Amino acid sequence: MRSARNLQVLGSIVAFVLSSGCAREDDAPSVPTGDAPAVRSAGDWPEDGQWAMPAKDYANTRYSALSEIDTSNVAGLRPVWSFTTGVLRGHEGQPLVIDNTMYVVTPFPHIAYAFDLTQEGYPLKWKYTPDVNPAAIGVACCDIVNRGPAYADGRLIYNLLDAHTVALDAETGRELWKVRTGDINLGETTTMAPIIVDGKAIVGNSGGEFGVRGWIAALDVETGEEVWRGWSTGPDTDVLIDIATFRPFYERARGRDLGVTTWPADQWKIGGGTVWLWLSYDPELDLIYYGTGNPSPFNPEQRPGDNKWTTSIMARRSTDGSLIWAYQQTPHDNWDFDGTNENILVDLPFRDSVRKLLVHFDRNGFAYTMDRVTGEVLVAEPYVHTNVATGFDLATGVIDYVAEKQTGGTGPTYDFCPSHYGGKDQQPAAYSPRTQLFYVPTNNMCEDWETFEVSYIAGTPYYGMSGTLHPGPGGHLGEFIAWDAVAGRKVWGIEEPYPVWGGGLATGGDVVFYGTLDGWFKAVSARDGRLLWRYKVGSGVVGNPITYVGPDGRQYVAIYAGIGGVWFNDVAHGAEPHNVPQPSAIVKDLGRHTSWGGMVWVFAL
Amino acid sequence: MGVRALTLALLLVACGGASDDRGQRTSASPPAAPPARAVLAPHPDYITAGPPRQSIDTVTNPFAGDENAIAAGGRLYEQYNCVSCHGGEGAGGIGPTLNDPRWKYGGTPAEIFQSIYEGRPEGMPMWGGRIPDEQIWQLSAYLESLVGEDMATVNWPGVPAEAGRRTPVR
Repeated sequence: MRSARNLQVLGSIVAFVLSSGCAREDDAPSVPTGDAPAVRSAGDWPEDGQWAMPAKDYANTRYSALSEIDTSNVAGLRPVWSFTTGVLRGHEGQPLVIDNTMYVVTPFPHIAYAFDLTQEGYPLKWKYTPDVNPAAIGVACCDIVNRGPAYADGRLIYNLLDAHTVALDAETGRELWKVRTGDINLGETTTMAPIIVDGKAIVGNSGGEFGVRGWIAALDVETGEEVWRGWSTGPDTDVLIDIATFRPFYERARGRDLGVTTWPADQWKIGGGTVWLWLSYDPELDLIYYGTGNPSPFNPEQRPGDNKWTTSIMARRSTDGSLIWAYQQTPHDNWDFDGTNENILVDLPFRDSVRKLLVHFDRNGFAYTMDRVTGEVLVAEPYVHTNVATGFDLATGVIDYVAEKQTGGTGPTYDFCPSHYGGKDQQPAAYSPRTQLFYVPTNNMCEDWETFEVSYIAGTPYYGMSGTLHPGPGGHLGEFIAWDAVAGRKVWGIEEPYPVWGGGLATGGDVVFYGTLDGWFKAVSARDGRLLWRYKVGSGVVGNPITYVGPDGRQYVAIYAGIGGVWFNDVAHGAEPHNVPQPSAIVKDLGRHTSWGGMVWVFAL
Repeated sequence: MGVRALTLALLLVACGGASDDRGQRTSASPPAAPPARAVLAPHPDYITAGPPRQSIDTVTNPFAGDENAIAAGGRLYEQYNCVSCHGGEGAGGIGPTLNDPRWKYGGTPAEIFQSIYEGRPEGMPMWGGRIPDEQIWQLSAYLESLVGEDMATVNWPGVPAEAGRRTPVR
């Protein structure tokens, strides 16, 4: 069966290559980017065969120019190493590979492992188990995940669920410093992957479901000392807005203390806008880009106003954190449409000139192509089925919302799309400069909501709504798509039975990788999405693939298998004797296909 | 001389020793006698036989089965955001299920009260002192009313996983 299928795949690849003539000529395992047809990103650099940042590079492309594995040979990919982390919860994030060492950080209790890739069997160099407060488990909305470590100058730096950041000696695993950044008694946790910019570790908080106040902070990588902290809500002094240097593109974002005046009295203090996903950085412009989370509580009636700066894309100076521009995708969010999804920085021809772009696939269902210098929206088009809006006004930068899909009011809101999980959620997209396409893991779900008044009690959830999910048009719950961000259109899509909750990886071999909730790790053609290879990794995938060159010069691909995130209950049937929740109706048969796990897989030809 | 007075006297002696260490003693009195440990052995004043300690199993909820208290507890379950973690009618979520006979920290009235009063290490907040004990008993009464059949686990007999997405056969 298998070889017959491989032959079939190979045949179709040959036919495709012959017809399109796009196959790579060179077959060196490690290739510089010189042949890339377009500037990849801000601060583009030659391929070094490592995976040294959470998203591969500051631009968040998740693109590696490695091309030993290509569309003609990927069918021969096979597992060469695996490791069980000993933790059976959602393995979001990705390993790092630096100097022939692989670094893995698990979900709570956040064990860090360092593996020596130069030895057979990848023996352990060191293991570090932090002291982390289990009380944080109860204030983690969506499983006890960690989205990975960052690395700089011999230090491995990552966040702990109990709102601490820790720095380790990457050579020995010795703890160098550990600092508290937030307060779990207020519902604050830290789950995101930091980035390191010029001697500072940039971190942010989670807890938009608990009415915490969002922030991003810069910690000195030498000491852990806080250099600056920019709040998402509150007065300009807290948000780090200097009216002399703050230059938002749209009128609606101009004014003093909008982080206070766009809220009912004092609501901004418990108003959300957390910073729990991926960060980007443009060294040339010295701007850190990130998105802020939902306003709190979910019930919009308890917070009239735009609720700035929640659900916004923010551009800050790395030196002092000052806010240079901000753009709010979903003013007065009605649907838990966090604006936190990754911002991918690319330079592409746009209307006759090469523009510095920022591409963002928002929870609200729109894909934004923006000028990352000014914050102007150049293209905004739905990338998934969307009925909360009819269009987008480029002059004002505001979505045209449909009145009856607003939540709150006198009764329930039925069938709004996308659901509160958005067109996509934490699962990051990838970009290939070879195809100039974005590879986006998406959701296809709609939802009914009923809102009710909720009181704020520190350290407890702060929702004020209950909802029911149902499948979007077509019945499939997810789709892995290729997106043209200049034209604002989908090029191809692969329908998946479940939400595609793992991230993408694009490679110089024109192979794109992603994993699925039902435990398949897949390789597809970057050009047309044709399935080239798949392997059942056991537990469902909510993490992000990486690729690197081993000490033997060969190309490797790694992925976590360990279902979780918001889906951990859905396959947990009986996994804990004291806790047998009913799987949600939306994925009630997911437990047929997968179960909890915690594996690191490595593949090679 | 009662034991308390003796203890006080010993404390004073100990404090005198401490001030000696700090060099504040003015008179050249001889060092205090070593603490007379043997003297402390009997405690007849306050250790008495008394009645046996009440077993945790015999603590009862003063509101057990009280319909009004159960209804009040149900309202508190929403007002205090219990519902957001433990789900509507105890169906589970961030926190464990509360609608079946499975209890992580025990399901006797005393244990349920204790879980709410003291909190639990994996994130259950401590409510003792923040809300009246009476409300904790009302919440407990509500939770006791939720306990139903143990939830059936779904099995998948005889259907190949890849064959299709059929309704499970029980």
